Amino acid sequence: MTFALQSGLFFRRKLLETLRQPVWIITGLSTPLLYLALFEPLLRSVAGGPSLPAGQVLNVFLPGILALMAVGAGMGAGWVVIWELDSGVIERLRVTPASRFALLLGAVLRDVAMFVVPGIVVIGIAIGFGFIAHWVGLALIFVLLALLTAACSATSASLGIRLKQIGSLAAVVTGVQLPLTLLSGILLPLSLGPDWLRVLGHLNPMYYTVQAARDLAAGTITTAAVGTGFLVTGAAAALAMWWGTRGYQRAMA
Amino acid sequence: MPVTEPAQIAIRAHGLRKSFRVKDEAVAAVSGLDLTVAAGQIFGFLGPNGAGKTTTLRMLTTLLSADAGEAFVAGADVMRRPQQVRRRIGYVGQLGGSDASATGLENLLLQARLHGMTAAAAASRAQDLINLFDLGAFAGRIVRSYSGGQRRRLEVALGILHHPQVLFLDEPTTGLDPQNRANLWDQVRQLRDGGTTVFLTTHYLDEADQLSDRLAIIDCGRVIAEGTPAQLKQRYSGDTVSITPAGPPDSLPAVERELAGIPLVVSTRIQDGSIRLAVTDATPALAAIFAVLDAKGIAIRAAALAQPSLDDVFLHETGRSLRDAGSPASGPATPRPAGEQVAA
Repeated sequence: MTFALQSGLFFRRKLLETLRQPVWIITGLSTPLLYLALFEPLLRSVAGGPSLPAGQVLNVFLPGILALMAVGAGMGAGWVVIWELDSGVIERLRVTPASRFALLLGAVLRDVAMFVVPGIVVIGIAIGFGFIAHWVGLALIFVLLALLTAACSATSASLGIRLKQIGSLAAVVTGVQLPLTLLSGILLPLSLGPDWLRVLGHLNPMYYTVQAARDLAAGTITTAAVGTGFLVTGAAAALAMWWGTRGYQRAMA
Repeated sequence: MPVTEPAQIAIRAHGLRKSFRVKDEAVAAVSGLDLTVAAGQIFGFLGPNGAGKTTTLRMLTTLLSADAGEAFVAGADVMRRPQQVRRRIGYVGQLGGSDASATGLENLLLQARLHGMTAAAAASRAQDLINLFDLGAFAGRIVRSYSGGQRRRLEVALGILHHPQVLFLDEPTTGLDPQNRANLWDQVRQLRDGGTTVFLTTHYLDEADQLSDRLAIIDCGRVIAEGTPAQLKQRYSGDTVSITPAGPPDSLPAVERELAGIPLVVSTRIQDGSIRLAVTDATPALAAIFAVLDAKGIAIRAAALAQPSLDDVFLHETGRSLRDAGSPASGPATPRPAGEQVAA
């Protein structure tokens, strides 16, 4: 009970902080809309064949965009953590009886909200562009990708706590993020690529998230890919949260 | 609740040790520190930068685990019962710790709720503190817009919000102007008068001297002297007399030898063309010094009585001045461990 209350208090604190900086909400929303407006027409012209059926370009493409948004919403967490370490906020909160997991969860939930709300807006717009919505699948996509945001947010926060320097954090996050997203088939299905690329993709946990999201967007809920996706993404989120909580327990900056 | 410590002891530490790894080399920040602080006093922790003050404070406040040793704060074991310690202590770090993107009131309310108060109790306590620290004019504004003094007041309010038995302040007046510094000293004294034990680190000699009821001087991770400011100054330096002979500088050692033989003179040293004599009692010592100078026919250019300071204590123990210690240019200062860099 105390834990739930504390998580709620930390979530509220983070949400207020976000609402006071609307520039981040605008940035978070403009990126996916630019993809829709500027990249989707390109995709439409190369479509055709079994991997990218011409009629359903958006149903293949949109889950990738949503996954990209989910990653983007989470990856900034480390920057916030370093800022809070430098201003002593985390130190002060750590000398209260507050749960360290609640401290992490409050920030993670804010990042999840920063994915879900713009995500719903993007879906609304995409339906106007011809996206065929399967509602149950869509709801499950949001659950799945919220786990992805949680995994990214907790990982970024953990890295922030341990690296303590914005420069080192930026190097690590950008160094990892690009191969991770490219090898997950976020923008185009990896099945379009050569064998070696597909093998590399299978080593990437996010690949399974994106595969599951594609199946869900197509309205097929009971596939093995969906099960694997939830399993891998859920495990990644749990692991990252455990790592992040440990970081808050031991942080010494 | 099992009583593990006598109630009148607020802090007891024994054999505390902590090292940090700096470039694959273990650097000891705190090496075998013993400390006892009685309840209800202002205890100063004085030392140069890098002496281990902050590391010690972080261990006592559960922020950092010790490599060895034990510590009890407000009756609870810091290593085994950190949650109990956190309920009973307040902490105001060097970095402040207020949330710059929230209002002062929001900061107070969150802190109160985290200490287990209901929403109603939190609101009432926040209002008390707003009145006590005179925060009313800006409590509804975002903390980022506060002046340094306003911010520090809010941070001390956050530290004492839950009526802690022991309040830890890490370099509380660094960066404050004289007016705000004096105000903070008054607040700290009021807290002590209300029964709170205040443990504060400082590298300001005058702060340690004027504010502390008792103090410990720390250098290279160890307590090198402990007592009331008056005791320390008396024990280590008594009074200091400075004699400047009229003769050439190379005659100084001979004069020093003559004066060192006087029973009231504890120690002598030559500094800046003068002979500095630590004496037990200035008045009879001066008479004896002049008698010796007269008898030996030594002419002097100046004689002066210097008030002892805590710096004399530090100098006596370490052979260097606290004013110079800790800066990179001054020899044996310890390197700052990586863990403290952010707190600089």
